[in-house]
Amino acid sequence: MQATSSRILPAEPASSELSSGLPSPALEWFWKYLGDVRQPKILNCGPLRCSTVQVLLARNAKLYQGDIISPLLNQNGNFWDSSGKTPVFKVHDFLAEFPRVPAASLTAVFCWHLFDLLPIGVVPQVMEKLMSWTAPGGVLFFMLREPYLHTGVDAQWWMESLKAIVSARLADRPFPNPVVTSREIEKVVPPGSLKVFLTRSGRREILALK
Amino acid sequence: MPRPLNRTEGNMWWEKDIKKLQPGAELPARPVWTPPRAAPVEHPAKEPTLKVVTPMPTNPSNSTVLGRSVAFHGELTANEDLLIEGQFDGTIHLEDHSVTVGAGGEVKAEIHARQVIIYGKVNGNISAREKVDIRKTGHVLGDLTTAGVAIEDGAYFKGSIEIQREENLVPARVGAAAGGGGDGSSIG
Repeated sequence: MQATSSRILPAEPASSELSSGLPSPALEWFWKYLGDVRQPKILNCGPLRCSTVQVLLARNAKLYQGDIISPLLNQNGNFWDSSGKTPVFKVHDFLAEFPRVPAASLTAVFCWHLFDLLPIGVVPQVMEKLMSWTAPGGVLFFMLREPYLHTGVDAQWWMESLKAIVSARLADRPFPNPVVTSREIEKVVPPGSLKVFLTRSGRREILALK
Repeated sequence: MPRPLNRTEGNMWWEKDIKKLQPGAELPARPVWTPPRAAPVEHPAKEPTLKVVTPMPTNPSNSTVLGRSVAFHGELTANEDLLIEGQFDGTIHLEDHSVTVGAGGEVKAEIHARQVIIYGKVNGNISAREKVDIRKTGHVLGDLTTAGVAIEDGAYFKGSIEIQREENLVPARVGAAAGGGGDGSSIG
């Protein structure tokens, strides 16, 4: 996808003409759920995309931006301690990549496909950290691949409108880690707080409520 | 001896024209000046993607320039635009003017300005009354508070963006206009 320049004018709503992305059932539910929140505080963990920023600012969000997906894909070696017999993922180094966010302040976190990129053993720890930044009633939005999807780890996701998302693949590399199941996520979040939306893209869209 | 000029011969060009003008005859049409036509514009073939135009900062005469070899530490206040191509560490106050951080500029500062345009590196919080503009070579770590943001794809930004809307800036006046007479806290 060619990079484009966008002027972000928060007062104007996102143009519907731009919405060539796929409708997201999870985001549809998400924005209804946040319908009465005047200024949601949102952390976007995905790559900086003008379109995403534009859409969220047009919704009057206070936006925290910190791309932690690109470093995972591009500098994966920096997060691994290979001094021992088995490489160990340096969770603290990884968590330091997030922007500074006040505790229990966020309305929502857009994690995109973050948990497909992490070693399965550190998923609970990262999710707990994200939940600690989320206010009561807040939401984590993320995607998990279906077991039959073996490649596409380097996909990029962004918003083209509040309820439509777009993806682009830079390559077709295989996923390095086993599939994260919804059951494993349920161990971390409060019972009954998980909403799973099946899509045709080979990924489940998931909302975890705090 | 030169021959005297016979005024009746009508040799002069203006005299010929005057002779033709009889009373009641129609005046010849006056030449009308027409502006030169603009050369036809050649439209280049449409490209499938939008090209990103990132003009480099210029050095206008009415602005202060911190050149590449300048390293400044401290607080800077000015009543004119500022272009930083060197290193700056401290605080910048240009409430009614713009700050441009050039591609070679490295700024560790809190910036307060009307407009901030970034081609280089900024580490610090930015408060801009009108707009923050991060170009694709820009690298920003900090929190932005402004009325408008423009970010090119390819730019790096880590921090928060909070848009200051007019309704938030003047709540009391809006409340009075609405006839509420309250303290403005219920607006929105």
